Amino acid sequence: MKQTALYDEHVKLRARLIPFGGFDMPVQYQSILQEHEAVRKAAGLFDLSHMGQFILEGDGVAEWADGMTVNAVPTMKPWQARYNIFTNERGGAHDDVIFYRLPDRWLLVVNAGNADKMWKILNDNVGGSGVKMTSLHGRNALIAIQGPRSVAMLQPHCDADLNGLKYYFCTEGKVYGKKAVIARTGYTGEDGFELFVDGADAPEIWSKLLADNAGGGLIPAGLGARDVLRLEAGMPLYGHELTEEITPLQAGLGWVIKMNKPEFLGKAALEDQQSLDDYPRIVGIVMDGRALAREGYHVFLGEKRVGEIRSGSVGPSVGNKSIGTALVDKEAATPGTDVVVHIRGTAYGAKVVELPFYKRSYKIGAA
Amino acid sequence: MAQPEGLLYSKEHEWVKIEGDNATVGITNYAQDSLGDIVYVELPKAGKQIAQFAAVGVVESVKAVSDLFTPVGGEVTEINTGLENDPALVNREPFEGGWLFKVKLAGDAQTSGLMSAADYENFTKES
Repeated sequence: MKQTALYDEHVKLRARLIPFGGFDMPVQYQSILQEHEAVRKAAGLFDLSHMGQFILEGDGVAEWADGMTVNAVPTMKPWQARYNIFTNERGGAHDDVIFYRLPDRWLLVVNAGNADKMWKILNDNVGGSGVKMTSLHGRNALIAIQGPRSVAMLQPHCDADLNGLKYYFCTEGKVYGKKAVIARTGYTGEDGFELFVDGADAPEIWSKLLADNAGGGLIPAGLGARDVLRLEAGMPLYGHELTEEITPLQAGLGWVIKMNKPEFLGKAALEDQQSLDDYPRIVGIVMDGRALAREGYHVFLGEKRVGEIRSGSVGPSVGNKSIGTALVDKEAATPGTDVVVHIRGTAYGAKVVELPFYKRSYKIGAA
Repeated sequence: MAQPEGLLYSKEHEWVKIEGDNATVGITNYAQDSLGDIVYVELPKAGKQIAQFAAVGVVESVKAVSDLFTPVGGEVTEINTGLENDPALVNREPFEGGWLFKVKLAGDAQTSGLMSAADYENFTKES
């Protein structure tokens, strides 16, 4: 198992480590629910160095990447970040990613579990494009500070104007005097920043941010809290709501797909799926009781099996209800539909709801 | 948190306090700490006959669902209804307010296969 640049910090903090995406990663430090609460009310600090960071260079990057993804790449402005999905010929998802356009290069961030697959797909398709690719996977670090107090906690130690940085934009600057790409992106439903830094600089930035903001409520947060946060915010997790078989359309990510693009891999399949409109789709589920709906549990409409749970958790920001996502047939996908989830042989009532479960109550970025 | 004396412990990390014919069952501090934040507890119904070491319910944390085994057999007389709205009580007070259910013991004292506090302490260090 590989270790991130912050491994020693996790051990010092007595994190519970699990193998994830090829790395020993902290699933929790003290308590998943406490870490979740810190991110909703103050801020949490995450090590996301397991994610794949690829640098793309050359004049042809935008057009090349545009042919493999559903969202528009060439229309991105310098310093802009954009969520995107690499698709296969059936419209299924190879991975969901974020492109960051810097003035002289692009940063592509892919899921840890898909990093090797994506590196191969990119290399298999790079021929003739003139694009130069460099993988920083496992070498660079990624530290995320997420929560409503992120600006206040990071700004004193950062030379970039964080209030002036718009949501889904990035800049280059220094954090504790160390070079960083600073992006106003995240995966928690809160304001926050993702800091792409050299692995050698990561431990100092991590430990100083924690020490300088302990009084303000900043605590380290693990992948367990991250999963609860993203589920409440209605964000897909690859392998659950998006897979090689589950298309972005099915995942409720139609807004990401730019059907007016002349061509991209999987476009014809997605157009067919869209016009037929009879596909199973991802919905939100709220259980009547407190038993958790977990991945793979069967979902019924009356006596008829209509799908299965893809993610499930308690929703601390949703009144501690048992929440989840399910992939269900169209007939069961209308919000308000009463369904039944089978949990350990017993039928439990549940309701189909619109995603997300949780929306932050404030705006991100300068007024 | 040390293992309280006077209780008996199972290999599945439950504790049982035996007082005459009656027993109170819970999970140990070691168990609640391994599970993490407990969000749901499913207990046997009062009146149900349960056999020693049988799976009688589940304890769910955010990340995992675990079977709950009973360290003693008999008839369930009472369950801790306070856990319905506050399952995290098992995390906070595993040996006190976070008890799970009470049993009227069937037959003779069922202490075989259970450990003392000291033996359980050693058992958790080996596992």
